Amino acid sequence: MNIFDTKKELSGFVLAGFILMGLLPLSNTIVPEDSIFHVAGYQLSLWGKYITYAVLAMSLNLLWGYTGLLCLCQSLFFALGGYAFGMYLMLQVGVDPVYNTALPDFMDFLGYSELPGYWKPFKNPVFTMLAVMAVPGLVAFVFGFLAFQSRIKGVYFSILTQALTYAVCLLFFQNKFTLLWVDFTFGGNNGFTDFKKILGANINDASTTRWLFIGSTAFMLIVYALISIMLKTKFGKVQQAIRDSENRVRFSGYSTTTYKLFIFVLSGVIAGIAGAFYVPQVGIINPGEMTAAKSLDVVVWVALGGRGTKFGPILGAIVVSMLKSYATRAFPDSWLIILGAIFILVVLFMPNGLVGLPKQLAPWINRIRGKERRANTRKTVTAP
Amino acid sequence: MNNTMSPFKRLAASLALLALAANVSYAEETDGTVKVGVLHSLSGTMAISETSLRDILLFTFDEINANGGVLGKRIEPVVVDGASDWPLFAEKAEQLLAKDKVAATFGCWTSVSRKSVLPVYEKYNGLLFYPVQYEGEELSPNIFYTAEAVGQQAIPAVDFLLEEGIKKFYLIGTDYVYPQTTNLVLLEYLLSKGIPIENIGGGLRKDAKGEVISAGKYTPFSHSDYQQIVSEIKDFAASGDAAVLNTVNGDSNVSFFKEIAASGLTADDCPIVSYSLSEDEFRALPTKDLVGHLGCWTYFMSLDTPANKKFIKNWEKWLIKTKASGVQKSDRVTCSPMVLSYNGVYLWKKAVEKAGTFEVEAVIKALESGISFDGPGGTVTTQKNHHLTKNVFIGEILEDGQFDILESFDDVYGEPFLKGTFK
Amino acid sequence: MKKTLLICLHFLLVPLVYSDGDSSSRKMLEELALGRVDSVDDHLNDLVETGDPFIKVFVDAWRVGEIYEYELENAAKVILHRVSEQFELLTSGEALDVPEGREKYLKKSRASRSLRKDLSRITDTIDLASPDLDTRINAALKLGQGQNKDYLPSLRARFERETNEKAKRAFEEAIMISLLKNAEKPEERLGAVVRLGELASLKGRDLVIKIRNKNEIDGDPKLFAAARNSVLKIQKRQSIVENVGSFFRGLSTGSVLLIVAFGLAITFGLMGIINMAHGEFIAIGGYTCYVVQNVFESTFGIQSSVFQWFFWVSLPISFLVAAVIGLVFEKGFIRFLYRRPLESLLATWGLSMVMRQTFRLVFGAANVSVETPSVLNGTSTFGLVSMSDTRLFIVVFAGFVILITWLLLSKTNLGLYIRAVMQNRNMASSLGIPVARVNSLTFAFGCGLASLAGATLSLVSNVGPSMGQTYIVDSFMVVVAGGLGNLIGAGISALGIGVTDQFLQPLLGPVMGKIVVLFAIILFLQWKPGGLFPTKSRSLDD
Repeated sequence: MNIFDTKKELSGFVLAGFILMGLLPLSNTIVPEDSIFHVAGYQLSLWGKYITYAVLAMSLNLLWGYTGLLCLCQSLFFALGGYAFGMYLMLQVGVDPVYNTALPDFMDFLGYSELPGYWKPFKNPVFTMLAVMAVPGLVAFVFGFLAFQSRIKGVYFSILTQALTYAVCLLFFQNKFTLLWVDFTFGGNNGFTDFKKILGANINDASTTRWLFIGSTAFMLIVYALISIMLKTKFGKVQQAIRDSENRVRFSGYSTTTYKLFIFVLSGVIAGIAGAFYVPQVGIINPGEMTAAKSLDVVVWVALGGRGTKFGPILGAIVVSMLKSYATRAFPDSWLIILGAIFILVVLFMPNGLVGLPKQLAPWINRIRGKERRANTRKTVTAP
Repeated sequence: MNNTMSPFKRLAASLALLALAANVSYAEETDGTVKVGVLHSLSGTMAISETSLRDILLFTFDEINANGGVLGKRIEPVVVDGASDWPLFAEKAEQLLAKDKVAATFGCWTSVSRKSVLPVYEKYNGLLFYPVQYEGEELSPNIFYTAEAVGQQAIPAVDFLLEEGIKKFYLIGTDYVYPQTTNLVLLEYLLSKGIPIENIGGGLRKDAKGEVISAGKYTPFSHSDYQQIVSEIKDFAASGDAAVLNTVNGDSNVSFFKEIAASGLTADDCPIVSYSLSEDEFRALPTKDLVGHLGCWTYFMSLDTPANKKFIKNWEKWLIKTKASGVQKSDRVTCSPMVLSYNGVYLWKKAVEKAGTFEVEAVIKALESGISFDGPGGTVTTQKNHHLTKNVFIGEILEDGQFDILESFDDVYGEPFLKGTFK
Repeated sequence: MKKTLLICLHFLLVPLVYSDGDSSSRKMLEELALGRVDSVDDHLNDLVETGDPFIKVFVDAWRVGEIYEYELENAAKVILHRVSEQFELLTSGEALDVPEGREKYLKKSRASRSLRKDLSRITDTIDLASPDLDTRINAALKLGQGQNKDYLPSLRARFERETNEKAKRAFEEAIMISLLKNAEKPEERLGAVVRLGELASLKGRDLVIKIRNKNEIDGDPKLFAAARNSVLKIQKRQSIVENVGSFFRGLSTGSVLLIVAFGLAITFGLMGIINMAHGEFIAIGGYTCYVVQNVFESTFGIQSSVFQWFFWVSLPISFLVAAVIGLVFEKGFIRFLYRRPLESLLATWGLSMVMRQTFRLVFGAANVSVETPSVLNGTSTFGLVSMSDTRLFIVVFAGFVILITWLLLSKTNLGLYIRAVMQNRNMASSLGIPVARVNSLTFAFGCGLASLAGATLSLVSNVGPSMGQTYIVDSFMVVVAGGLGNLIGAGISALGIGVTDQFLQPLLGPVMGKIVVLFAIILFLQWKPGGLFPTKSRSLDD
């Protein structure tokens, strides 16, 4: 089976892989620093961050673009994955010279004398990686099971997912909370910061930055391929049918609940892994990542890039994040206005997002070209 | 243009272009200027407090530039917006250090923003001046804490109350690390002063071994419903000689004090010491509800010294003529975090001049050697442990949003590690 | 209403005192303020003797900086009391003009903290004789809880003279509480412990518990048994009071939610626009209030009685301002999005960002302060619980908003059109209803309601650029839990959420309480996916 729609897409995929995973990291190492082709370490980690955002947007697109479920808790899955991986990173810090304890620093503030039981397995990287997928997956499964079982859909689903994010966010903002008779602590408002080591390597090393970047891109390409495959299968067709008319699919004998639940969990897992790549690259995870506003950001990326297209979410996430990075520096006072106005304009005038723009503009361009051609021909005719 | 160009090709092309474009610096480096970073939230929830710090920093730079700059170079501020978004703080810090190559940064307000940029400053060996009162328990070689440590704010205020004959203390705060840690230190301190544990209100949480791990009542950020808590405080204060130690952060204070005023509890019945409310916050508070309550800072706008008068006059003059965008011109005050930002810039200037270079390591060494500056709140001196020795004042809030200074403590040493020292 | 009566009484009381007040106490206060007193303690004792209620007025004025020291032309110093922009001589209450050029002889007088504290004790004893029942009761209990031996005789004397049943009870309670510490004989203390149990005294609870704990091991067994008994009785009553209190507080929290969510119930519930800018329309209300306040302040002066009207004036203005802005946005772009509800979320989110930053640029990043009109300063008591007047006003106002909306929707032609358009736009259009206009007006109305909410919120909360963000998630929850398109449902769900929240708060704390409420709503919607009152429809919507 051919994964990609066209040959061009295949060659683009390979080219992107080559540039992102080879050329950029290489230009970070080999090219001398004063050359304009040199990519600085901070740019690489910035781009790594954008790419994890892109994956997050893809995971939402899977739900919203292809299944018609507008989920406003995507950032929750992202943050849960990030937290799981952050726990591993916190335990790699070792004995801090300032606090003189092997515990994460916030536990020292909170008067812990030993590591709580549920933290201990996170010393193991393999367990951590499983948890990165399992925790968001489990949350998605439980919530999705309840929601889809009682046929909650449309706006109700969106608002409920928003409430879920909000509730969990409040929970994590507490320095300590008791859930099912277990005391949990995840650093409260400060979250996890000041990581030192990852898989034995110093997290501040240039090579670590590079490898994290390569890892994130590889993951993005894998997710892209995965989505491409899925769209080709019967599963993908049913999924899109659910988006277009859920009742008809159900009447045709499909259990839409199962389909939706599977997609929801899958999307949660992808977002979780993206979160795990995100945390070591930005160096902090705190409950601020779970707020409803962050989830809305993801929705905006997908809508801006082009909902229901394979490439749109990537483009949207990267363009908006870049714009934000640039504008917070160049227009610190008015960047929110600029960004907000762009969103409004996109919704009004670009229903298919950035990806749909060329097609949308095609008639215009053709007309202009046509005019030019006509003008040219006229010119040639009337010229003496 | 070819419409069918594959999406990935487009991505690759744009990536390559951007990677090139990103390499071009925003501003040209010239010999006559030195760049410094200003890293505060100008949007998002923390903009309420942090915007004023941006303003005072711009004023300070202009003042220094007008007097010949630093080592003969003009200060060129690079202002970025952290947008109350902590990963963005880290990103902006990295940009300031790696791309703009700033000589020093002045910024951050919340503990979490400081924590998020701390590894960046250590990685790039940068220099950050942090101006807001905080919980302590931290010491980074690349940060100077011009802020009040717990011992320079919370403890003197309690001393004052004890002297006034207060016997019962109610602890309330927003649920994050600064109030939690401060209240734990205060609890230890109060117990060491002979206050029995049942006279400490707000609730205690103990761990399995019976050790107190959290003291006081906590509400989430932006909490706005204080009915229950105020009725609890009213009962607590009914027996007299009670005070509230308030570490509630930011805008929740409006709801809290409105509820207090509505309940009929006055400052004479039960004074409230607020650690996060300064003159700048009073602009947003109904001050008549606050009259008679207390504050404790290392600077008050009402300080009657020539240095402070001159400082305020210059600041007001600057406000009128400045063209910086987004600076609110009328109805402005000065407050402790602003003055500590101001002091930070001058301490940095002095350290640079002492070191004779902008090199971060030399500047830090100069700062550690002990540099004094006669600021608006009196002389501040840097210590080896990256904190400042400074004067502490206790004031009573007046109806015009100023403080009437009741007591001052001179040259209080800044000590970040207080927890566990009062046993 | 009792509250208004109280306020009138208060107004009556003040001039009454001025004309009738004993001038000797005023003289003594002046001497005190000028610092011409040899022994402050003796002086204070003399002041207590006069029992003049004006002392309380003076102490309050002293604290908030309304008392001035003024040097007359003949170099004699007098104390002035500022009453609504005007100065009055303290000793006589006569008005006195401070001529221009002599302002420098005017100086604010300030009392030291300890002096003020002593004075407030005096005012408490004076209040024991106050004609107002609540003041009397509060003063008695406060003195009792102070457990100061010196007040016992005056409490006892008042107890004998008191005729009102409720006040008598309060005096007895106060005496008993005081006796817990000041009893001369053990039997007396035992009696006090028993009596406090019988009175079910909440104020004495902590002290009785203290006695119980102290005598538990090798203490007085009799005292211990009595204390244990009393504590049980008190706790029984306490749980009743707490539950009633939580219910009332829940009502007020629910009313805040209701007011906040009602605009959204229209724009989102009825019209189907996922209005993420709802919070910013709330902020418009708060800022309108602020602007109106400033206009009033600069035109009439902050001390004038007209100034107190600013809040009531700003209510209709805030409604209009937001309605007009809403109308403009509706015409500008929201009307293109009726068929694309999920995209309306994006556009309004963009709008919300733009508006937030605009507030910041126009009004400054800091929050702004809005005064509470003096009519709403105070508390009202209903049986066991008391509630601040601002909260009470919000409860009443929430009822008013529901009423107006209900009248509009069910009793007017426009309401009929609105309901028709919301049920089926195409059908309504083909029946000749001006759909476009109805849409605009409905959206404007929803925005106006949001803004009214913002104006009322300025009474209990802050006004600032991100004030709306605090309420947005709650508002959506209220509307969804009530059932889309059902305004009564929104009202009931708001009150339900508020009451649940306040009942959970004492058990779980404010944060966990809120989290549990959120999860409860999520689970509730699993059970009833359409909310409390789902819209009934036979169509299978896709």
